[in-house]
Formats: sequence, structure tokens, C-alpha cells
Amino acid sequence: MMSLVKVDEVTKVYEGKVTHRALNQLSFNVENGEFLAVMGPSGSGKTTLLNLISTIDVLTSGEILIDGINPQVLDQNELALFRRRQLGFVFQDFNLLQMLTVEENLVLPLTLDYIPTDEMAQRVLDMAKRLNLRSILHKRPNEISGGEAQRTAIGRALIHRPALILADEPTGNLDSKASKDVLELLSKVSKEQHTTTIMVTHDPIAASYCDRVLFIKDGEFFNEIYGDDRRQTFYQRILNVLSLLGGSVNDLTATRLL
Amino acid sequence: MTLRQLAYYNVLRNRRSYAAFFLASVFSVMVFFVYSMFIFHPLLEEDSLRVLAVRGMFIAEIVLYIFTLFFLFYSMSAFLQARSKEFGVLVHLGMTKKQLNKLIFFETVILGGVSTVTGIAFGFAFTKFFFMIGREIMQLEALPLYVSWQPFVLTIAAFASLFIIITLISVSFIRTKRVIDLLQGYWKTEEVTKSSTVLSYTGLLLLALSYVLASVVTDATVYMMVLIVPPLATLGTYLFFTHSIHFLLNMYKKNKSIYWNKTRLVSLAESSVKLKDSAQMFFIVTIVSTVAFLTVGTLASFTSYTGDFRESNPLGLIYISFNGNDEEQQHIDGLTQELENERLAYDLVPLTVKRQTSSFTGNDVDIVSASDFNRLAVALGYEPVNPAQGQALFIPYSKESLDILADSQVETVLMESEVPLSINAVYPQLMFPIHTLNYNSIVVNDADFAAVDEPLMGYAAGQSTFTYYAFHIPEWEETAAVGAGLASIVEEALESEDFSGLNFFFENPGEEYRWFKSSFALLLFIGVMVAAVFLLAAGSFIYFKLYTGLERDRKQYLLLVRLGMTDKELGRIVNRQLVPQFFLPWTLALLHSAFAFISLQVVWDEFAQLSILVEMALVLGGFTLAQVLYFFLIRWRYIAHLQAS
Repeated sequence: MMSLVKVDEVTKVYEGKVTHRALNQLSFNVENGEFLAVMGPSGSGKTTLLNLISTIDVLTSGEILIDGINPQVLDQNELALFRRRQLGFVFQDFNLLQMLTVEENLVLPLTLDYIPTDEMAQRVLDMAKRLNLRSILHKRPNEISGGEAQRTAIGRALIHRPALILADEPTGNLDSKASKDVLELLSKVSKEQHTTTIMVTHDPIAASYCDRVLFIKDGEFFNEIYGDDRRQTFYQRILNVLSLLGGSVNDLTATRLL
Repeated sequence: MTLRQLAYYNVLRNRRSYAAFFLASVFSVMVFFVYSMFIFHPLLEEDSLRVLAVRGMFIAEIVLYIFTLFFLFYSMSAFLQARSKEFGVLVHLGMTKKQLNKLIFFETVILGGVSTVTGIAFGFAFTKFFFMIGREIMQLEALPLYVSWQPFVLTIAAFASLFIIITLISVSFIRTKRVIDLLQGYWKTEEVTKSSTVLSYTGLLLLALSYVLASVVTDATVYMMVLIVPPLATLGTYLFFTHSIHFLLNMYKKNKSIYWNKTRLVSLAESSVKLKDSAQMFFIVTIVSTVAFLTVGTLASFTSYTGDFRESNPLGLIYISFNGNDEEQQHIDGLTQELENERLAYDLVPLTVKRQTSSFTGNDVDIVSASDFNRLAVALGYEPVNPAQGQALFIPYSKESLDILADSQVETVLMESEVPLSINAVYPQLMFPIHTLNYNSIVVNDADFAAVDEPLMGYAAGQSTFTYYAFHIPEWEETAAVGAGLASIVEEALESEDFSGLNFFFENPGEEYRWFKSSFALLLFIGVMVAAVFLLAAGSFIYFKLYTGLERDRKQYLLLVRLGMTDKELGRIVNRQLVPQFFLPWTLALLHSAFAFISLQVVWDEFAQLSILVEMALVLGGFTLAQVLYFFLIRWRYIAHLQAS
């Protein structure tokens, strides 16, 4: 198997009143078609890592290669094109555009690339069928539930068939039923389409849907474990590592105030 | 879905947040278009009033254009700033800068196009109505509606250029480089407000200073103050909103027994954040409102001048014939004939006026005999006078001269004819307009008048005497066309400053009054429309600020409800938040205007002794009423939105 993402000695330092080293010489690879979870306590650098891979943040030293391309050398315009074609994003707070309907949100990445309308319509229909969104296609984001919103966001991340999907706490704002749906969907997509997915999460249940879990602490590599056939035992092993990690387990279920 | 469609959806489905902006733009286009309709009107060319109308409206259009440019600039940058999260998502998804620019361009074109078309449509629909007002003000026979391409082209060209300029500028507001910053969105700046103590005091001091300066202006300093006070007040206002107000709030917050009291904690903390966020908006709204108040207030104060006109001009027509005027009888016959043709009743009283040098002041005095004077007094319905021989009365030249002259006791001798006089009273009514008789004018006993037989020093016998034909016309406002020929001869001489060969003076106060009244009404009409655009724009800033915060506020209120806040308490919090947003800039603008009017009063005192207090109170009261209504309308919608969740 070939590595789709290569993270090599990546360091990210935030300059400011207090210089903060968010990532320190972190290295790992993500294989093609792999579903990877990144876990760690709050402030361990998970989101920073995701932002770096997303190309929306600039690293201090080291190198990230995605499909053999180093996004850091691309200019603004090339970066936009790269994100548009190679990457798909799923956010904790969905980031759907409020003034567009579910259907329009789905089709948005395609419209940026001037794809023929017929094809766009076909793809939206396929996606809606797969994600069970057909009944809400014409609703606006404020009229649908969190689970539906996140399924829409996943659809938007998949519709242009990207090489890599980046998910930042995709179940953070969802109830357990909706979380389960979303995770099964991500896992299924990863298997069926052979899409590579990197998911940052707090939630050991979410992580247990993945092929591998990477743990980071204070911006450095801490441990990694591979999944097995039984999700339940995988979940137990994740919990074991987490207790070693020392991050308070309260993090796991921390519900945030509005 | 193409970019164009996306732009279309963005505008259409965000229409509620664009509502007030749209209203203000449409109104601005409408006013601009109506002015254009006046400017290009084929009938509005000839007389001076119409020239004034066209010029006034042209200037108003320029003002509107510049203001709209500023208004659009500010609104657009606020819109784009508020939407930064949305742009962040788009850029994150891989939209290029070029595509984003295109999107914003399309959106602006849609907004601009729709505003311009709607504004012109409304403008055209209401033109007839505005023409009626214009016709009334300019007292024209008719001001028919007409159709011409020019107003349309001018308006479209003006606003198309505006919107294009704004698009080009506003696109550069978005920095796509920092996608992370964009994604974090609009409300990330909720830091604890820090304010500089020095700047806070400076702001308060500057405001106090400008108020003091404005209220102590005198005739001598007023022109200097006009240059000094506005910049001081503007800077003061800016510092007040950016620093002083937080400083005051923080002082208030330090007192925990007041601050940690019921709903005050939430509403004060909220106010701090909002005030900080809106400081610049408040500053702009204050300045724009002040300018609007001052425009309308100043123009309204002009109309109070016309209110005093009749008191200082009680005569209907004035004809003064000097030595060597061969056409005297001919002119008077002509005037009486014209008055009869117009079916206007009149009393004609000719007064013989003699000139002498007063030994008391060494200046010229105009002298009228008691019998001439009384004939006019009776005609006007005033008391007759009866000075004994050797006695005389002052003839007042203005209202305030009544008081001054009442206290004067003068013993004088009319030097050329050696007539001694004791002047110890003033006639209590104004009869002759200020420029038609000498400041030093007196009424004397007929015997004394006859005794004045020597000409004024340096003049020939006939030259020191003239005849003042005073017409009393009850319907004095109807004399518009009477004596037009004579008036134009006098006007020509005044314009060319060549009085040789002019042996008479003619004045038609009725016509003048009509001109004053019409031109001030016209200016007020033009000014009120421009001010209305200003105020709508200021209102739209406030509306938009509220609207962008709505989603966040809703979440906040939801949390408060969850924490156990009652509806009543919520209402109180909403009030505490909305009231400052609406009335803080407003109050400051009112204060600014009030002090500016104190200065204006001084200017007016200098040449027309009149009080503008009533007009000012009306103007400011009217605006306040409108603002209160606007407040309740927005409050109603705001609470409805909050409770929608």
C-alpha cells in the first residue's frame, strides 16, 4: 500500500505574547484508503495538525506531502484548486452555508469547478440517495436536525470525490444516535470508495470506528493502535491508552455551554 | 448552480439583513431621481427662483452622491465583515480569490441594480407629487409631468458608477490569506474592553470644551469658532465612543453592589461588548445625524426669518422720488393703475422728507412732518402723534432700536435751519423698512417742519428734500407683479452699481416676501429630503449591527432562559441593550445640534434679530419622535426574532 499522506518532522510554533509550540517534530503516514483517528487531550495539537493538513495554516518546519504534493509550495490560487479537488472537509459545527438549501450546499464544490449541470444533478441525486437526504433536499440548514446537517456536510465533502477527507470532531455536536449514523457512514464510505479519512476526535466511541488511532500529547507522538474485527475490544484498548495518556477522561464527555 | 445563481441566492435569502440597507439605497436613488426630474424640467429655466431650485438640487445631488458613496462603502464593508465566516467556508472548500471576487461583484450588481430600478420606479411614481409641492413652493402656474431620457440616464449613470466603485473597493476588504481568521468569524473579538484613561479624559474634555466654546461665541469670534469647534467636537465624539464610554462603564462596574444586581450584570456586560464592537458605527451615526439635524434646523431657521418680515415691512409698496425725477407722476399713476387692475385696495400717503444735520451727532437726519406722518399712521391703523413745537419723536428702524431709542433723551439743533429740538420719545411702531429711511429719522411739529427751509450742507435747495410715497395695501402679499418694470430698473442699477440717472427708488415688499418665503421653503424642501436620506442611512447602520448580532444574541438568550431568567427580566435586558444602541448616538447628536444652534442664534442675532428656538424645538422634536417610532418598530421585530427559537 502507498502512503497518501506523509507527515514528516512537522513543527508548528505560534508566536505571540507567549510562544506556544503546538506541534513538535511529529511524523506519521496515512495509507491510501485508511480511516485514521487522531486523539489526544485538549491542547495536544490535534486541530492544529488538521489545519496544517488542510493547507489553511502554515507550518513552522518539516514537510507534509499529500499524494506526493507539498501544498506549502503552492500559491494561493493553486492551493484553492488543490483543496477543491483533493480535499473534503467535515466540521464540528457543520459550516453549512445558511442561505443555501441542502441540495445547493451539496452541489457547491462542483459548481466551483464548472462541471456540466446534468452531471452535477446526477451526482447530487446519487449522494442524496446514499446519505438518505432526499426528503430534505429543499430545506435550509436551519430547518434540519444536527444529524441531517452533518450528513449534508459529509455529502458536500464527498461529492467531488476527493482523495482525502478531513473531519474535525464530526460528532462533537451530535447526539449518540446521530453520531452512530455519521460514523457508520464515514466508515462505510472509507471502505466502499477507498477514500482516505483523517478524523480528529475526543470521543473513544467515534475513534473505535477507525482502522487506526494515533495519540498525540503536547504536540508529540504518544502511541498508536490498530483496530481489530471487534469494535468493542478496540474501544477498550483505546480507553486503556487514554488512561495512560493522562488527559482527564472528563474531556471525553465534556459538553460545552453554548 | 453557477456563481451567478449563488450570488442571487445569497442576496435573495439574506434579504432580511439587507432590508434597511436596501430601504436607504432605494430612498437615496428616489430622491436623486426626483431632483433630476426637476433639474431637467423644460419649464424650470427662467426666473431667479427656478435657477435657485435647479442649482440647489444640483448641489443636493452632489451631496447625495458623495454621501451615498460613503454610505455604501461603510455598509458593504460591514456586510462583508459579518459574512467572513461564510467566505471562510467557501475559501476552505477551494474557492479561488478570483471566484470570490466574482461572487461579490455579482452580488453587488444585483443589489445595486435592484435598488436603482426600484428607486427610479418609486421616484417616477412620486414625481407628480413632488412636482405639486414644487409648484406650490415656487408658485408656478403649472409644473406638468414630462418624459425625457435625461433624468433616467443621469440617475442610472450615477448609481451604476457608485456601485461599481464600491465593488472594486469592497473586494479588497476580504483577506483570503488568513482562512483560519475568516472561519472564526465575526464575533471573535469579544475581549474584555480596554480603554486608555488618558484618551477617555481627552474625549470628555474635548466635548466639554467644544460645548463651552459653542455657547460663549460672540459676533466677533463666531467665524473663528466655526473653524475650531466642529473638528474638536468630531474628535471628541470619536474618543467618547472608543474610550470614554468604556471608561465610564468600567467605573460603574467597579462598584459591585450596583453591578452585581439582578439583570444588571448581564445587560452591562453585554453593553460593554456591543459598545466596543459598535464604537465606530456609533461615531458615524452621531456625526451623520448631527449633520442632518443641522441642515434641516438651519434651513428651518431661515423660514423664521420670513415670519418677522411683515413686522419690519408694514408697507405694501414704496416709491421714493428724488430731485429731478420727471416721471414721478407718471410712475405713481402707473402703480395705482396696476393696483386697480389687480383689484387691490390701497391707501397712498406721500410724505415729504427733509434732510438736516443734527448738532448732537453731526450726522444727517431725515425729518417728517407730524401731519404727513399721521396720515400714514391712520392708514395703517396706528396711533397718531402730536409733538409740540420744539419737540420730536424718533422713528424706529428695527425692533431692537425701539428699546435703545426709548431710553434716549437728545437735545439737538438742526444746524442748517437752526431749529432747536428736544427728542424725548420713540414712536412705538415700525413703519418704514430699515433701508428706505435714514437710521436717524424723526417726526416734528408741522411748524418746526416749515421752519426747516435751508438745504442740507453741500446740497442745492431741491436736493435735500425727497418724497416718500407709502402705499398701504391690506392684501400686501398679492402685489407680486405690480411695478415689475420699475423694480427691474432699480435692480439693474443695483447690480451695475450705477445710480446716475436713477432719480427714484422702488420696492415691492410683497414680491420680496414671496421670493424669500419661496426660496427658503424650496431650500427646506431640498434639505429635508437629503436629511431624510441621511437619517435612513444612520438607521440602517443600527439595524444591520443588530441583525448581525441576532443569531449570537438568540443563543445567549436561550442560555439565559435556561439559567432561569423570566420573560420580564429578558424584556428588561433587551431594553437595556437596544436603548443605548438607538439613543446614545441620538442624544449626543441632539446635544451637538443644540449647542450648534446656540452659535447659530448668535449669527442670526447679528443681522436679523430673531429667535430660532421654536423652529429648532420643532425640528429636533420631530426627529426624536421619528426615532422613537423606529425604536419601537425594531424592538418589536427584535423580540419576535429572539423568541422565534
